[in-house]
Order: sequence, then structure tokens, then C-alpha cells
Amino acid sequence: MPVFDLHMIAIIVGISLVGGFLGLDRTAVGQFMVSQPLVAGPCTGWVLGDVATGLVIGTVLELIWLLDMPIGNFVPADATIVTVSGCAIAILGKPGGTTLAVIGFSLLLTTAMVPLTMWADTFIRHRNSKLMENVFSSNAENMAQAIRRAHLSGIFAFFLKSFVLCLFIIPAGMAAVQLVEHLPGTVQRALSLFVKLLPLLGAALIVRKLSIRLFDLFLIIGFVIAAIFGLLLQVPVLIVLLFTVIAGWLGARYSEQRS
Amino acid sequence: MPGTVSNDRKNLGIVDFIGVFWRSLLLQGSWSFDRMQTLGFAFAIEPVLRKLYGERAEYQERLHGHLEYFNTQPYFAAFILGAVMRQEEDRATGKDLGGDVTGLKTALMAPLGALGDSFFWGALKPFAAIIAVAASMMGLWWAPILYLVLFNIWHVSLRIGFLIWGYRSGGDAVSFLAIYNFTKMARLFKIISLTVLGGILGMMPLWRPEFRLEYPVSGVFIVVSCMALTFGLVGMLRRGGSPIKLMFGLAIICLALAYAGVTR
Repeated sequence: MPVFDLHMIAIIVGISLVGGFLGLDRTAVGQFMVSQPLVAGPCTGWVLGDVATGLVIGTVLELIWLLDMPIGNFVPADATIVTVSGCAIAILGKPGGTTLAVIGFSLLLTTAMVPLTMWADTFIRHRNSKLMENVFSSNAENMAQAIRRAHLSGIFAFFLKSFVLCLFIIPAGMAAVQLVEHLPGTVQRALSLFVKLLPLLGAALIVRKLSIRLFDLFLIIGFVIAAIFGLLLQVPVLIVLLFTVIAGWLGARYSEQRS
Repeated sequence: MPGTVSNDRKNLGIVDFIGVFWRSLLLQGSWSFDRMQTLGFAFAIEPVLRKLYGERAEYQERLHGHLEYFNTQPYFAAFILGAVMRQEEDRATGKDLGGDVTGLKTALMAPLGALGDSFFWGALKPFAAIIAVAASMMGLWWAPILYLVLFNIWHVSLRIGFLIWGYRSGGDAVSFLAIYNFTKMARLFKIISLTVLGGILGMMPLWRPEFRLEYPVSGVFIVVSCMALTFGLVGMLRRGGSPIKLMFGLAIICLALAYAGVTR
């Protein structure tokens, strides 16, 4: 059981700050993709001294939430908070070294928090509507300053949202994750299998959004190339990946010529 | 007095472009449901207006004009910002006093928004992410760096290019889109994404140890089974279901499999 002493509280606040800054990249600042799970996970893991766990959680969540797109009024799931919290819970909750079962439990726990993150995001965006009223109520001479102040306060609100949610979810998750070692071995094995199968669910979610067909031809071509060259002929994985990229490029050109 | 031209007005220079580009990175900082990126746009264009019109009534009037509803894809907003910079400059220097800046913004934001969403979110992001995930699945630690490089090479260079092109063309999106065929590029990225995703599934026994299924059966049997499971999940998704529900559904299936003795 991790002890919530001053040192641990400082670490949790620090990681929540990391979550707050990374969360800015989702909507408010830049959108350079540092907020995406595959980057945010290893970043959090690196800060906490366990990059591998960050990479595992980040990879899985990247696949799951990749095509949850911020289009129009739609507020997508906040995969950054889920990733940062999930990594922190898995790493800090098990100081002696995390296990796949703990990672699986953390993923379920933080995924259950997704509706809360969406609610908080929606709340901030409603609150931002009032910023415009402040600008319009300012006199003409001070309008530029009012715009600057209102806009920067919006950025701060987005930061605060991610920071506060991480600050709430991480300690609660760290306490909850202690349950894992008391679970029967069968349940722990189920949680490990869950982590191993999650990439397949992520792949299915992507195929669903990227292709209109159930059996997408290009997916199958990539699969066959990888199975033949990677598994049967034992060609190095990077070369196999390159083959799949080239096959996709040739396939795109072929389908373009046909149409 | 609005519409008049005075001699102390300046043309825009490189520093102004850098300033607008920097501020365009914060475009969505105060995103709201009713005004969306309106404040962000006014925030980005404000220094340009101040330089062009000085601290006079016309500056305040122009700034107020930019508080009308604005929303587009955030990267493509740079093109509109460039076009507006040009129109405001022409207006301030007396080259074109009748330019309809609001009309220009309204005409460009919806089509560029739709195009940008499908290109950046629907094609470039999956392209960069899936290649990086493939690298991560194979145990390569630099996968996150690969993701950032693959995405931002396009993102940053296009964003800078949009600003310059928008300014030079004065908002002529048709000639701009004739050079960059974003629909064609989006299709290319999507197809490559799908083949690489197929490649990831085809190399399942070579995945990093945390994800590897270790059963005393051949690797080909494992990958074919997992491909079949993926297709099954795609079929289920077509009937509806959110990622959250499916994740919890998968956890329940794993629990059932564990109690059935399938797990090791």
C-alpha cells in the first residue's frame, strides 16, 4: 500500500501538473500531438521512472481513442487524462514493480472516468461562453486587453480542468488498485489477458472508422505481407513494416488508376 | 474616420507573420460552444490590426468586427488568418477599401473546416499514429518520437505554408487546393494506415512481451485467430457500441475465458 506522505503528495501534484500541461495540447495550445496517449504515456512513465509501463498503456489507449475526433460541437473522450492517470496509478500504486493485471485494472478504472472527463470538458466550454460577455461589456478602448485577458483565462481553465481531474483520479485510483493483489489468481489472469487483447479492440475501432467494408482488402494485404515476411521468412520487423507501407502506397495508386 | 488612409500606416513584415503564427497556435484557447474560435481569431489578428490602424477608432472598429462567429479546422485557420491579414493590409494602405473581410471568413471557414477535419484528423493523424504504434508494438522505444516527427513534419510545415499562401493569394482557396490535393492525400494516408494496421495484426507473435499471447500453438494459428476476432469486433461495432462499453465487455469475456481455463 503506497503511503500518502508529503513526498507522495508532491509526486501526485507534479504528475497532475504534467497532465495539466499535456492536456493543453488537446485543444487549447498547439495540438502538436504531445497529448496523445502514445506520447503522454511514455512521458508520464519517464517522469515516474517506468517508461515501459507508460509505453504499454499509451500504445493501447492510442489505438482505442485514435479516431475519437474533435469535430464541430462534439467533445471527445479526454484520452490524455485517462493516460496520465492510468500510468500514474499503475506505477505509483505498485512501487515494487507493476504487473499486467495492475495495468489492466488501471485501464478499466480510468476508462470508467471517461464520462467525467467529458463532462468537465463540456463544463469548461460552457463557461468559456461567458468570456465573450466580458469582452462585449468592456469599453472600446480596453477591448484588446479584454480579449487578451479572456482568451488567456480560457487557456488557464483548460489547464486547470486536466490538473484537477488528475489530482482527483490518481490518489483514488492508487487506493483502489491495492485490491488487485487480493483478487483471485483467475481474475488477475483475466486482467492480464484483457491487456493483451485490447490492441485487437483498438484495431477493430480503427477499421470501423477508416473503412466502409467489414473485410477491408488493404488490411488483409498488410496482414498477409506481415505474416509471410515477418512470421514465416523471419524478415526483420522494420523491413516488414516498410513493405506494408509500400504495399499501401502501391494499392492507393492502383485504386486511383482504376477509379 | 473609417475608410480613410493616413501616411503613418505600415505594411506587414516577417515579425507580424511570426506573431500571428505564434498566436494562431493558441486559436482554441477559449473554445466555447456558442462562439467556438471567435476569441482566438480576434486574439491572433489583434496585433496586426494595431500595427495597421494604430490606436485610433478604426482599429477598435476593425477589432470589434472580428468578434463575429468563427470556427474552422484549427490548422487551416492559418490560411484564413493570412487572407485576412492581406485584406486588412490592403484596406489600411488604401489599395482596396471595399474588401469584405467578414464575407471572406464566412466563405472559407466551413469548406476548409470540413477538408481539414477529414485530412488532419481522419487521415494524417491515423497514418502517423498507426506507424508509431506498429513501432511500439515491436518494442521500439522511439515510437513516440516517430509519431511526433511523422505528424508534425506535415502539420507545422503546412500550417506555416497556409499562413503565407493565404496572405499571397488573398484567400483564393481554389488555386491553393488545385496545387495541394488534400482529398487524394487523405485517401493515400488512409490506405497506408490500413495496410500497416493489417501488418501489426499479422506480426502478433512478434509484439512486445506484454502483448504477446503465449500458447503452445503455431504463430500462424494465433494471428489467424486474432484476425478473425478483430473482424468479429468490427462486425459488433457496426451494430453500435461505444469504446467504453466494448472495453468493459472485453473484460467480462476475458474473465469468462479465465474461468474456463483458457488463460495461462
